[in-house]
Amino acid sequence: MSFVAAQILNGIATGMLYALMGLGLSLITGILNIPNFAHGALFAIGAYFLVSSALIIGNFWVALLVAPIGVAILGLVIEYAGIRRLYAAGHDYQLLFTFGLALILSESIILIWGPVGSSYLPPEILRGGADLGFTMYPKYRLFVMVAAGLLVFATWLFLEKTRYGAIMRAGIENKEMVSLLGIDIKMLFTVAFALGAYLAGIAGALTAPIRGLNPGMGPDMLGIAFVVVALGGLGNLLGAIAAGLIIGVAQALVAAYWTEASTVVIYAVMAVILLVRPQGLFGIR
Amino acid sequence: MKKPIILILAAVLLLPFLVRPAIASEIWLFAIFGLGANLLLGYTGLLSFGQATFFGSAAYIAGWMMKVHGINAFLALAAGVGVGAASAAVVGYLCVQRSGLYFIMLTFALNQLFYFTAYQWTSITGGEDGMPGVPRPVLLGIDFKDPLVYYAFVSLLFLISLYLMRRIVESPLGKILQAIRENEVRAEAVGYDVPRFKLLAFVIGGAFSGLAGVLYAMLFGIVPLESIGFVFSGNVIFATLIGGSGSLYGPVIGSFVFIWLSESMSTVWARWPLLLGVAFVLVVMFLRGGVVEAWTRFWSWRSSKQRT
Repeated sequence: MSFVAAQILNGIATGMLYALMGLGLSLITGILNIPNFAHGALFAIGAYFLVSSALIIGNFWVALLVAPIGVAILGLVIEYAGIRRLYAAGHDYQLLFTFGLALILSESIILIWGPVGSSYLPPEILRGGADLGFTMYPKYRLFVMVAAGLLVFATWLFLEKTRYGAIMRAGIENKEMVSLLGIDIKMLFTVAFALGAYLAGIAGALTAPIRGLNPGMGPDMLGIAFVVVALGGLGNLLGAIAAGLIIGVAQALVAAYWTEASTVVIYAVMAVILLVRPQGLFGIR
Repeated sequence: MKKPIILILAAVLLLPFLVRPAIASEIWLFAIFGLGANLLLGYTGLLSFGQATFFGSAAYIAGWMMKVHGINAFLALAAGVGVGAASAAVVGYLCVQRSGLYFIMLTFALNQLFYFTAYQWTSITGGEDGMPGVPRPVLLGIDFKDPLVYYAFVSLLFLISLYLMRRIVESPLGKILQAIRENEVRAEAVGYDVPRFKLLAFVIGGAFSGLAGVLYAMLFGIVPLESIGFVFSGNVIFATLIGGSGSLYGPVIGSFVFIWLSESMSTVWARWPLLLGVAFVLVVMFLRGGVVEAWTRFWSWRSSKQRT
């Protein structure tokens, strides 16, 4: 019983990370209206940035603050130098561009950090387990659950309660109207891409002490982020959380009994949900 | 209309003298793959980022039937076409109900489903090492192990595929698909069952991909895991776009450019996908419209010069 409970907790922790990925992708895809195939690479770079900056600075917490900001700055540059010129091009060329970018970024990871993966330990204070009464559970994963939950909540606060957040939501609904109201839509696009990159980066940074580093982590996460958005709906916060948790928990439970299927199950669950509800969890096309 | 066909026939005859027969074969089989992708992308306006699903599934299943059950290679080719079409029917069924960016993401996610299945099902697929031991056909005492004989076989199948695809895009079905590309709502309003036609385009495109997949497995004697991976799906989109997705011959030219590019890059540097990524970005930045458009622009510029 406690084993199943621990697996469900694992699923919630990874599911929250999936939700963060989906949320960032959904902001980028919803506002800029582009397929962002570089989202997984941004996640991987977040993880690598965390480990490298933690080694340089010597403090995990500062690194956790700095690494995602680095990814956001990278996102800023990518949007400003490349994607900005492609809004008039079709999805096919936008896709080719972000896919090319993903290839460049993942190969650069191998060039800079090497092709072999490595593991990374969480900070001293978060090592070991905590007694939850029904099971012992790793402290770091509890921290990830709380941190990811807070980040999702902060994103919600920003989108729902601030003026700029309202502009962003309006941008997802109707870009033309937003620009007609005299709002700098180019600026909005840049901010949205940087914010999405930040969320991908921090999801990567939080993942590093759990899964370690490896160059394949980007492409793997890209598919999962797509699943979250396809099921949850663009710009739908609740949808992202629900989809993230569903596939996270399903994956953790299947992995406990049939390790080989632990990745396939994510996509199989998606296929089954789409069979029953082609329009996704909350019916948004 | 006649000129491209003469050019292609000349290329088929000359190519094995210019490059290694294996590369020449790879160009034509990749062109078959591109023809299938272009029916979706160029003619129906569906951007599928999962074409490797059909290519790889056909290669694995047909290869496995030949290797383990020793079935006739020509039967295996037919089986590959069938597997390509069937897997495309499954993927298409789940995807055509959504549109735009959702559609693209779903084709990619389902590609991952097939990829990870192949990756984990090591007892059959060999996982990361790929599935070796795929034989080449023997017909009437002619051994296809000879690279030139195999080249002739692949280019013949390519010419047949090209002919078939031309018939398809010029048929009423092809016109309906183009109508869907131009204006989906209007096609629906005129009374066409749009999702069903999209699915049909998927199945036909999948059949072409399946044929290409089996030819690929026979060419190299192995089904590598990459053949079902999303990078392969991206490559065929690149080839289609650089050739020019608006034209029947676009993916043929694109296949030339892509295979030549990747072959020459892979000999230069182990991290050649980085160069490929740079090529993708450069094409998007500077060569939108593809080679065919640049070529027609060049010809109209030339003929206008000759007239004066």
